[in-house]
Amino acid sequence: MDTRLLILNNDPVFEDRVLTIFEMMEGVENHIARTLSEAVSILIGEIFDGFVVEGPAALALEQATHVRQHFPSLRIACVVAERPVEELATAAEQQHIGLIVSCQSYHRLSGILGRFVRSIEKRSGTAAEGIDPCHSLIGNLNQFSAAEILQMSCLSQRSGRFTFKSSRGNSEIYLQHGAVRHAIYGSLEGEAAVAEIFRWRQGRFYFEEGIISQVQTVDRPWAHLLIDNLQKLDETLELASV
Amino acid sequence: MRDRDLEKKLRLIELQLESWKKLHDLITYGLDKAKPIVSSEQERQFTELRGYLLQETEYILRELGVLAELSGKTMNVLQRSVSIRAVRELPNDEVRRLETEWNAVFTKLGVVRGQLKARRKQLAGQTALTYHLGRIFRRAAAAH
Repeated sequence: MDTRLLILNNDPVFEDRVLTIFEMMEGVENHIARTLSEAVSILIGEIFDGFVVEGPAALALEQATHVRQHFPSLRIACVVAERPVEELATAAEQQHIGLIVSCQSYHRLSGILGRFVRSIEKRSGTAAEGIDPCHSLIGNLNQFSAAEILQMSCLSQRSGRFTFKSSRGNSEIYLQHGAVRHAIYGSLEGEAAVAEIFRWRQGRFYFEEGIISQVQTVDRPWAHLLIDNLQKLDETLELASV
Repeated sequence: MRDRDLEKKLRLIELQLESWKKLHDLITYGLDKAKPIVSSEQERQFTELRGYLLQETEYILRELGVLAELSGKTMNVLQRSVSIRAVRELPNDEVRRLETEWNAVFTKLGVVRGQLKARRKQLAGQTALTYHLGRIFRRAAAAH
């Protein structure tokens, strides 16, 4: 399975040094967006393993930060023309955004970008089929969104574990007496993981009654999480339509 | 194996076709009299799209080796479609000409894209060694 990269480059015809390098990589599928809103609408609809922003340091980092806020689990790198100032480099590090300076030899840059691609962990996995007697609720995310099923379970004061399986990977949300106690998706935990799962529109979910997490990473009431995440989703859609 | 020149041509043609299709969407919207409102946002998108096409068309068509064949038609489409509102006000014969020329460019670019993809598929089954050996033998055969 190819590694899918979305590259934000506002001049992909004439400023194509980085694009050329990605194109020559075996097993990498590139998709180009010219504007941030185009990139966001593509990210809403499709699954990508990594996101690369090309451009002047300040602008590229600003665009990458926007995307980071809306897609917390996405691997992001900024390829900038000049070495960024200390402040920008620190901001990028805090947002888990890789910074790559493009003003170096083709081979060196090629090596760095190659390492970035290799570092993108493939979390793909197909949704497991079949019914396990432990599952008290099973369904498809394209029929019921994660928000809907969590709302239903929280209102009925359920305790147990939701497992979500999609091509983006697997994630788990633990409920206790109708409140979200713990959520995990890849390296994300807590509210960031809940936010990520909220966006999933494809995949399957399973609920196992009575499984309680000892770890607690979420301490806000479900209603607050729901409102915040729906608002965030609206903001993402707004960004895509700018 | 992958060929750098081929990959570049494929990228350029994909970008050109993408812009060309978006232009068509906006022209079609403009021509649909049932849609009475053309928003300033749509006009902005249209101008931005024309900007990309005007800037990139000549370079891309030259790289693809179809400049002589398509340059005139492409420029005719871009010059006639000044804005969505202007497209709406074009007389019928001008609209027909616009559509014919848009289609001629789209068809040719589609055919070239197919050829490039076929070449990529052919190359994907080869290693760098077999590719270069093949070239050497072909050159030697041509010399005799």
